[in-house]
Amino acid sequence: MTAVLEPALRSPGREEDQDAALRRAAARVLLSNWTGAATVPSRTLYPHQWSWDSAFIAIGLARLAPRRAQRELETLLGAQWRDGRVPHIVFNPSVPLDAYFPSPDFWRSSGAGAASGAPADIETSGIVQPPVHALAAWQVHLADPAESRRRGFLRRMYPRLAAWHRYLAASRDLGGGGLAAVVHPWEPGLDNSPVWDAALARVEPAPPESFRRADLDHSSAADRPTDLDYGRYVRLAADYRDHGYDDARTPHAFALEDPCFNALFIASEHALAEIAAAAGADPAPHRRKAAEATAALVERLWDPAAGIFLARDLTTGEAVGGHSVAGLVPLIVPGLPETVARSLVATAQGERFGLGRVHLVPSYDLTSPEYDGNRYWRGPSWFNTAWLVHRGLRQHGADPAADALREQALDDARRTGFAEYVEPHSGQGRGIRRFSWTAALALDLLHRTPQGEPAR
Amino acid sequence: MFKTACQEQLLPGDSLQQKWEFAREAGYDAIELRGKGDFHFRDRLPELRRAQADGVVMPTVCVDMLHFFGAFDPDLRRDAVAQMKSQLSIIAELGGLGAQTPASYGMFSRRLPPFEPPRSEEEDREVLLKGLTELGEHARAEGVTLFLEPLNRYEDHMVNRLEQAAELIRTVGLDSVRIGIDSYHMNIEETDPAAAVLAVAPLIGHAQVSDSNRFQPGAGHLDWPAWLGALDAAGYDGYLAAECRLTGDPVDAVRSVPAFLHRAAG
Repeated sequence: MTAVLEPALRSPGREEDQDAALRRAAARVLLSNWTGAATVPSRTLYPHQWSWDSAFIAIGLARLAPRRAQRELETLLGAQWRDGRVPHIVFNPSVPLDAYFPSPDFWRSSGAGAASGAPADIETSGIVQPPVHALAAWQVHLADPAESRRRGFLRRMYPRLAAWHRYLAASRDLGGGGLAAVVHPWEPGLDNSPVWDAALARVEPAPPESFRRADLDHSSAADRPTDLDYGRYVRLAADYRDHGYDDARTPHAFALEDPCFNALFIASEHALAEIAAAAGADPAPHRRKAAEATAALVERLWDPAAGIFLARDLTTGEAVGGHSVAGLVPLIVPGLPETVARSLVATAQGERFGLGRVHLVPSYDLTSPEYDGNRYWRGPSWFNTAWLVHRGLRQHGADPAADALREQALDDARRTGFAEYVEPHSGQGRGIRRFSWTAALALDLLHRTPQGEPAR
Repeated sequence: MFKTACQEQLLPGDSLQQKWEFAREAGYDAIELRGKGDFHFRDRLPELRRAQADGVVMPTVCVDMLHFFGAFDPDLRRDAVAQMKSQLSIIAELGGLGAQTPASYGMFSRRLPPFEPPRSEEEDREVLLKGLTELGEHARAEGVTLFLEPLNRYEDHMVNRLEQAAELIRTVGLDSVRIGIDSYHMNIEETDPAAAVLAVAPLIGHAQVSDSNRFQPGAGHLDWPAWLGALDAAGYDGYLAAECRLTGDPVDAVRSVPAFLHRAAG
């Protein structure tokens, strides 16, 4: 009976109506969170421009308003430092200082970062986030190549994106093995992942009276990082700042090679090769760098026994045992060895991540004692990592799993009103709602090629 | 998917039937009529009925006069209200949707000398609310809608932005009065045209399109995907009516609009 009923329940007309309604709702979020030159992740909790948020937002915005998607990335790259780094936050000068902590007067980029080439007239943070930008720029270009060419988008983006990648490849190869290191838990994007716990525990926390959190004004404390961890985040950032954000001079108390950060670097390096070719530059060095970094990623971070990529702590020289969604993201790397890719898909579908049986992809191992399904990056499922895993599954031919994940992401986005993240077992929305990248990535997943295929 | 319409004076052809043939071939779904004063529009009723019998789709009329319901002069105001009532009745008789009018056009600009209008803001508001109420009640009785069009600051001094039109319409409190938005005027007046559309979404009744330079859509620098994306997200499913000047070969220019709008709408 079920087989007979199912087609009626999922009639194409109804699905199309639902998709159209979701597309409109997602567009309303993105158009409402647009500030004139870029998009805020949220009108309440995140009132500035965030680096990897903007990249994901641009990917979705390209499906709605390609010129705005280009502007999104141009605005972010407009705050790039002369050393090539793309700061993780670009502050909006019209927002009060206490709207977000750490605020511009904590980072003091234009002063403390001057020797590293921080802009004199725009305040930013001094740390970075994963390099999704070249990948996003290429997607944005492909969404409307004529508009991109008319505006000289790639020609203007290419030197900036290339400088960003040079910074990561040179100044951030702290381990000397051909991978970029992160020097603060906020850099890999998965801010309070249990993967950072051991390395973070070695850091002396800044005294609680030396800072005031702004995130708890809008979010439940149970969902956010603890105060002690926040003190350590503050200490690491202050030490970096007090060394002029100079990677060579800073005695990094926290330095790890993260698989997600490096996988995104590689995927973006491939995109950079395409961008170089389109902009009249030589793509070969980017292809070479991508191949080298892929080899380094597999050699340094792949754990064949566990079937997952692990972060490497450069202070201890050891792999970090915890399994996070960051270890699955290398599925997006073009040219990843097939045995590795197959093993990653099996891990995603296994008991630690439960792909297809829980909502989206949990940010941390479901079977671990550190797992907490409500607390930010210690378990909840996020839409950006789901989008990346979806892309990886498609790339490696796991179409049924990719289709299911796509359906689930669209359903969860719709059901939760574009929540920031969801509890993996219940699927209940957590964090804030009307979150920009959730809406943006839903728009991208809704997009179908003229042949009716889902976007890749 | 949006429906597109083209104002009649832009279409080549000597009759509405000829214009319609061209419009259909170019991909338009309708013709927007223009309503001149002195009850000229009413006098066209036989012509309009014949066109309708021949299948011409004419859902809306846009006023084509030099005085409006917000005129300073009471006689002109009275005449404008009478003309608009007649146009609403005629478009209702044709089974159409409604008639579009600004508060005024070319009467006064606060940005041009002598800068201070002869009537106070309070008096302006009183005149507008009275006119909108009278026209709105007539439209309701006829089963059609009056579309109030905000114009840019150089063409009208009273209603320039969508939020101003929305405030008046909410005060009047009639479903038969809605905003008739125009992409060109919005481009001048709105900080973020897409956000402005969303902010008054349920009150938008009609949309006219021309580019940043008043030429046909595609000939200027408006961010059409953002504007059309916002209209779609607002749930608007009415017409996009081309009301513009033409640059380049006029026939080619008119022909280019539906395909351009559909592509920009994604």
